[in-house]
Amino acid sequence: MTLVDRRGRTRERALVITGLRGGPGRPVPGDRSLVRFTAPADIRGTGFLVWEHRDADDERFLYLPALGRVRRIAGSEAQESFVGSDFTYEDIGGRELDDYTYRLLDEDAVWEAPDGTRHPAWRLESTSRDANARFTRIVSLVRKDVPIAVHAAIFNRRGEQQKTFDARKIERIDGVWTVTEMTMTDALEGTRTDLRVDKAEYGVGLRPDDFSRVQLERGIR
Amino acid sequence: MSAALARILWPIRWALTIALVLGALAFAPAVSRTTIDNDLTSWFSPDAPVYQQYERFREEFGGTRTLIVALVAPSRDALFTREAFDAIDRISNAIDRVETVERVSSLSTATVVDALPVDAEGIGGIEVRPLIDDVDAKGAVAAAERALDDALLRGDLISEDGTVAAVIVSFDEARIDAVRGGVIDRIHAIVDAELPDGFEAFYNGSLEISETYNRITVQNQTKFTPPILLLTLGAVYVMFRSARKTALTLAAILVSVLWTLGLYSLLGFGFNVLSSMILPLVVVLALADDVHIVQHFDHAIRDGASSKEAFHRAITHLAAPLFGASATTALGMLSLATSEVVAVRTFGIGAAIGVMVDFAVSIVFVPTLLAWMRPESTQPPQERWFLGPLTRVAAFSTSHPRAILGTALAIALMAAAGVTRLQVDTNHIAFFSRTHPLGQSATVIDGKLGGVYGFQIMLEGEPGSMQQPDTLRRMDQLAERIAAFPEVRKVTTLADYVKRINRELEGRGEAGAVIPETPETIAQELFVFTLADEGRHELSRVVSSDASAAQISIKLQAMSSDRLFDYVADVERFAVETFAATGITTTVTGSGKLFAELDHYLVTSQITSFATAFVTVFGVIFIVFRSWRYGLLAIIPNLFPVLAVFGVMGWLDISLNIATVMVASVALGIVDDDTIHFISRFRLERRRGVTVPQAIHAATIHEGRAALTTALINSAGFAVLMMSEYKPSAWFGGMLALTMVVAFLAEVFILPATIVLWSRLFGQQGGTPRPAEAVT
Repeated sequence: MTLVDRRGRTRERALVITGLRGGPGRPVPGDRSLVRFTAPADIRGTGFLVWEHRDADDERFLYLPALGRVRRIAGSEAQESFVGSDFTYEDIGGRELDDYTYRLLDEDAVWEAPDGTRHPAWRLESTSRDANARFTRIVSLVRKDVPIAVHAAIFNRRGEQQKTFDARKIERIDGVWTVTEMTMTDALEGTRTDLRVDKAEYGVGLRPDDFSRVQLERGIR
Repeated sequence: MSAALARILWPIRWALTIALVLGALAFAPAVSRTTIDNDLTSWFSPDAPVYQQYERFREEFGGTRTLIVALVAPSRDALFTREAFDAIDRISNAIDRVETVERVSSLSTATVVDALPVDAEGIGGIEVRPLIDDVDAKGAVAAAERALDDALLRGDLISEDGTVAAVIVSFDEARIDAVRGGVIDRIHAIVDAELPDGFEAFYNGSLEISETYNRITVQNQTKFTPPILLLTLGAVYVMFRSARKTALTLAAILVSVLWTLGLYSLLGFGFNVLSSMILPLVVVLALADDVHIVQHFDHAIRDGASSKEAFHRAITHLAAPLFGASATTALGMLSLATSEVVAVRTFGIGAAIGVMVDFAVSIVFVPTLLAWMRPESTQPPQERWFLGPLTRVAAFSTSHPRAILGTALAIALMAAAGVTRLQVDTNHIAFFSRTHPLGQSATVIDGKLGGVYGFQIMLEGEPGSMQQPDTLRRMDQLAERIAAFPEVRKVTTLADYVKRINRELEGRGEAGAVIPETPETIAQELFVFTLADEGRHELSRVVSSDASAAQISIKLQAMSSDRLFDYVADVERFAVETFAATGITTTVTGSGKLFAELDHYLVTSQITSFATAFVTVFGVIFIVFRSWRYGLLAIIPNLFPVLAVFGVMGWLDISLNIATVMVASVALGIVDDDTIHFISRFRLERRRGVTVPQAIHAATIHEGRAALTTALINSAGFAVLMMSEYKPSAWFGGMLALTMVVAFLAEVFILPATIVLWSRLFGQQGGTPRPAEAVT
């Protein structure tokens, strides 16, 4: 993950994200994810564990190697920054469908990929049901051939287009279409975050224990 | 040379006059489009180092020009209610939706950091959460008490006594100035609509001050110009008892004003508090010039001259002294054109243009129309009124020179003592009465919250350097040193944030509010803070993303800019000392520093300009009269009024500030004008062979009359400014009136007395009259 600040300075962060889908019939009731930073040196080993619950506040735990202890972190909103980047938790983990209403703006839109190829797409408007949400409206381009949002204009409460999402590279990994390079730009803050996925694996046999607080405290081995 | 000019002007007078009128009409629409602009960019050149430092800071941490809204509750209990929190939340949310608003800081947006209780598995926690969540979870009283418990919020967003809450609004400074008036009005409307019963809202901060200044600039132009003109014209009518001459004077002033403002806006200059003074300057000098022309023309007509001869005589006699007087004033003003401060530069150029436009209009437009109008042979009443007193004055000044100069010396010594009390000081808040909204809000914000002024220290080093324990400790030391200043209300550093997080993570209460020993711990603790959006934004205004830069914020109560200027210098020194040999550089900046430097520079540059003009006067008088003696003679009557006025200001505790310092320049413009006219007339009379007392008598009743007429008319007009709610405008009006009176007295008493006492030096006959002078 490369974070570019308003003066153009970049910071590199490397992290490993593991996730386990939850829900009825699954080993855990809600999604679980564990984020572990491997670089830079000063936050190496810092871990962040999220237990999502369908009918209750999510639980979040943080491990700071400097303190050597796990701490609970009070919940963050879905539209809050994901680990200090321009992405939100919602951008990374996916949004709750019921949080938005949807309108198809254009059935015959076209998305031009970074390599210049043109792909038919739907232009979709998502409006948050929460009028006080930070970002109330999103206009996305969803490729027709690949069911992935490849571009999004994200509007704030003032109706200004504050953020722009662009998929840079899409790969099919283990049969799953995955955006492996993406950018989120914040025009008002003057910042940008580039996220590159070096390695993605699906169905690797993770268990609930891999998302325990004990596992979080183990840090990087 | 003046006679030659008269001969050249006569055949082309109508062409020039029509050109002047058409030009004025053409400029009229441009004048109405002139922008009012008291913003930073109107004061500072983009190349000025102090402005570039601020831009660098702004780019890193955002702007520091804020709007502070103080919400005063009728009691502590009234603020500690859900209704009050809900209102603050609605106000904050609505303001956040206003264009160009970058950030709203209030109890609604504030973040608190708390330790979470240890759970069954022995895991404690930390919570970075919006304070407002506590209202639902724990109740309004608990939320307010939590805010009071937080050193970063207490005294900043909530007063220590729990009766005042603040909403501090930051803007996108690249865009706010274009829409500032509308945005501030919108915010006022939002707050007024949502204010709970019994609460009062007070507005301050650098943006509110700038906007108030814009309104004052407009008010100075629109509210006071009509009564000034009306009273001035009323006085002109009373003096000359002629509707035609009154109309002519009005027309001449209007042509001067339109040309000046038109040329000013053609050059792309905007209006601000400083340049709004150009208008009174132009009116005062236009009137002074025009009265001289009208009186000389009238006099020639009554002597039996034809209109053409009267035109020639007026120009021949007055062109040189008028040019000399105008040129000296214009040169003084033009010396400001090299200023680094944009507003000073534009004022200097605008005022110089105005003075020379006045000159052109008075020697072309006025005599042309006078020659065209039906001659009025009746003596104006003021000539009758003034003749007797001025004759007695002339007799007194020639017979009692020692008494006059002794009295003048005594007054000068008293004035000099007053000058030693004179404070060079611009306190923007003190410029308004305590009942003015800006004065009232300053009292509340200075007394209960973080203060209306502020400046910042930017620390810059290697990436990561701001997260070093040693750096944070030095920040703490520096903050402690700065906080010892009496007017400092709050100092906030990155160390405060780190200590706050560490306290909650360590779970040892206040004992844990220390700076950790390792940079890794600090980095990780700050990382925790960025996990919440509000925390991330808050931190981004304190430390750069790569920890290569950080800011220390200093909030102060309203104070004089010169005291602030000294503070800034002390803080700069402290900062350098604190971070010596660390590789970290320190830069003091922020809107407080910018305005302190600006005010200081404005006053010093005006004093320099005045000094330049003062010296120039003698050069020009030397050129006009080709005599070093008269240059020397001009020093006394020029110096005396300025000394007297500054002395009075000293005794009345009126500071030398951005407005009153202008009095000196205007005074000089008037005084040197009077001096040149007087000396010119005196020399002429001496060349005609009359004695020194007779020459003084003639100069006194002719030129003294014009000076007295101008003084009375202008004093009547500018006394109106004394009613302004803005004290500098009131002082300007009052001091200007005083200057006119003292200048007149200096001309008819001190100047003649000096000539008589040193008649061997100044009273020489000076040869035969030149042909041009002989016809007068």
